[in-house]
Amino acid sequence: MFNNLAENFYMIEQYIPLILAILVALLFSLFLLKASSLFGPQKPNVEKLTTYESGMEPIRTARERFSVKFYIIAMLFIIFDIEVVFLYPWAVNLKILEDKLGFFIIAEMFVFILILLVGYIYLLKKGALKWD
Amino acid sequence: MIPLSFYLILSAAFFSIGVIGVLTRRNAIIVFMCIEMMLNAVNLSFIAFASFFGDSSGQVFVFFVMAVAAAEVAIGLAIIIALFRNKLTINIDEINILKW
Amino acid sequence: MDKLGNILHSLNFFYPEIALTLTFFILLLVDLFFRKSKHLLPVLSLIGYVITGYFSFTTPNASGFLFSTGMANVGLYITDSFAFYFKLIILLSLIYTVLFSILSKEINESTENRGEYYALLASFGLGMFLLTSSTDLITIYLAFEMVSLSSYILAGFTRKVPRSAEASLKYIIFGAVASGVMIYGISILYGLTGTTNIYLINFYLANQNYNTLTLVIAGLMIIGGFGFKISMAPFHFWTPDVYEGAPITITAVLSVASKAAGFAILIRFLKVAFVDYAATNLQASLWAILPGFQWNDILAVLSVLTMTLGNLAALWQNNLKRMLAYSSIAHAGYMLSGFVILDNQGILAILIYFAIYLFMNLGAFFIVMLISDKLGSEDIDDYTGLGYKAPFLTVSLTIFLVSLTGIPPTAGFIAKLYLFAALVNTGWLWLALVGVVNSVISLYYYMRVVKNMFLRESISTYEQKIELGHVLISFSLLIPTLVFGVYFKPLIELAEKSIRIFGF
Repeated sequence: MFNNLAENFYMIEQYIPLILAILVALLFSLFLLKASSLFGPQKPNVEKLTTYESGMEPIRTARERFSVKFYIIAMLFIIFDIEVVFLYPWAVNLKILEDKLGFFIIAEMFVFILILLVGYIYLLKKGALKWD
Repeated sequence: MIPLSFYLILSAAFFSIGVIGVLTRRNAIIVFMCIEMMLNAVNLSFIAFASFFGDSSGQVFVFFVMAVAAAEVAIGLAIIIALFRNKLTINIDEINILKW
Repeated sequence: MDKLGNILHSLNFFYPEIALTLTFFILLLVDLFFRKSKHLLPVLSLIGYVITGYFSFTTPNASGFLFSTGMANVGLYITDSFAFYFKLIILLSLIYTVLFSILSKEINESTENRGEYYALLASFGLGMFLLTSSTDLITIYLAFEMVSLSSYILAGFTRKVPRSAEASLKYIIFGAVASGVMIYGISILYGLTGTTNIYLINFYLANQNYNTLTLVIAGLMIIGGFGFKISMAPFHFWTPDVYEGAPITITAVLSVASKAAGFAILIRFLKVAFVDYAATNLQASLWAILPGFQWNDILAVLSVLTMTLGNLAALWQNNLKRMLAYSSIAHAGYMLSGFVILDNQGILAILIYFAIYLFMNLGAFFIVMLISDKLGSEDIDDYTGLGYKAPFLTVSLTIFLVSLTGIPPTAGFIAKLYLFAALVNTGWLWLALVGVVNSVISLYYYMRVVKNMFLRESISTYEQKIELGHVLISFSLLIPTLVFGVYFKPLIELAEKSIRIFGF
């Protein structure tokens, strides 16, 4: 597998423009970052150095723990979100498969969704979606 | 076209980073992120092989790996929450009632 | 071949799994709508398992592929007598677990989640059923994860207990890493052979050139994943923690059923994928492994490591549950040594060992559960002098421990006899010797419990009222443990019928 690496190394040539573009972009953005302090006038005072010149003083840190309820919602979201992944290949192939297999292929997806529905009923009934 | 080995090296690198993360990190949630990374490295190599062979079973495998990974992380989060309510920490070093 | 006909036709052989699935859903929904009744759920799950068992017996036991993909004549799933045997073991241990749970204090105290407990037990069983007869890497991975995911939750089921939640977290981290490594191995194997079906993988490996090193790496990674399930040596670290932290009913089922499923898939995978069928007469001789790597050498090393580590660590345990955890690691090591031979004799020994291990290990856990529910402790020192206060329980425990050591006339002796005889017959004398030495070591820690119970003055004010249920369940486990020690012919015959793996 890995001797391919050496053989195909000439492939890198195709990427030279891309690498150049990335390099130029990096250098240019670094330059811009520095440029404003290089060329601009600098007269700092206490008021100017605060976080938001005309905003409120920050009261406490913004990095706080937030409620565990978000995690629960996130968890449930992930599960049901991922199941959609299985609908896509089915939907894309539906026309071909239906010709071959007829109604069976649709019934099969209904079974799948029914299983998900049982899960959904379960978590509704358990009160997993209630916020308090 | 990019040769297959490039993808495989990238996938191996990702996998190793994930393993190292699992071994060195102490925060349970970050450990789970590293496990996700391992699984995604696997997905990458599956996809690379599938497109190399022109065979769909590798891609199907990826769907299942994704679903399983989601379930695993959901259960992992639930367990972390249960543990946090007990011990008020998710630092793996402090989770040490059970030993030798 | 008509695809639809094939899928629908396959469903006729799939009734046991369908029955388990329905059991799972019914338990889940019944728990939502009838929360009050206490015995409804266990009774329903028992009914579900009995129906599953009925279907397992009545399903025509013809070997064959299910859910063929149409293109090649192989399928995702298989029915054969080998899978049937392991399914019986799994089903029996599930039924026993439900019975234990009805009596367990730990489970009955956590009333709010009892429904999930029985439902997850059913899904755990379903995963193991699927695992025993999967023939495609995709179904293997999915079944493997189904077993794992259910058992993660079950291990942390009494989540108010800190050590249970901790066991669960350790289990899921180890498990997720193990399955990550396994799936990486699977992806390499897929890349090497271009197929996910293990029969086609064998076909490819037998007929094409391939890079041996890649195959070895992939194979070792996959074996590592399965090794996690059977708590094989370098992957055993989760076992003591999880077994100690989990509710004891779950510990019992983990130590028997999920190990059985792990062994079933390990044997099936290695035998189907890596054995050179052209060069092997499967009935008579040792299997010829495909050239490149001798898998049995590495298995022999792992087996020795597993049994030795398990036994040595068990020596200084004070917690009885933890001691039984290490002893179950050691037993996995013994069984693995039967696989090292790589022939039907070794597989036969493993099958016999498993059936006997089911009864003796579940029995030991059951008695420990009964005593510790009353005593409130699993500490071996607290068992001091119990022998005269609860004679029935302690005598039963002694019999189970003697059987686990492998002393005649108990069934454990027969199990070890067949195993070591198979090893000696095939020239693995040193491995048999290591096994015998290990059994002698294990005598020390098993007998320490017995000594504490009978030969010391009592310190606790322990009283046990024996209920009818306890006696019945204990006897149902005791009788096989003793009977198979002297009259083991039917068991051997059943196992001999079950060694055939479909295909070659």
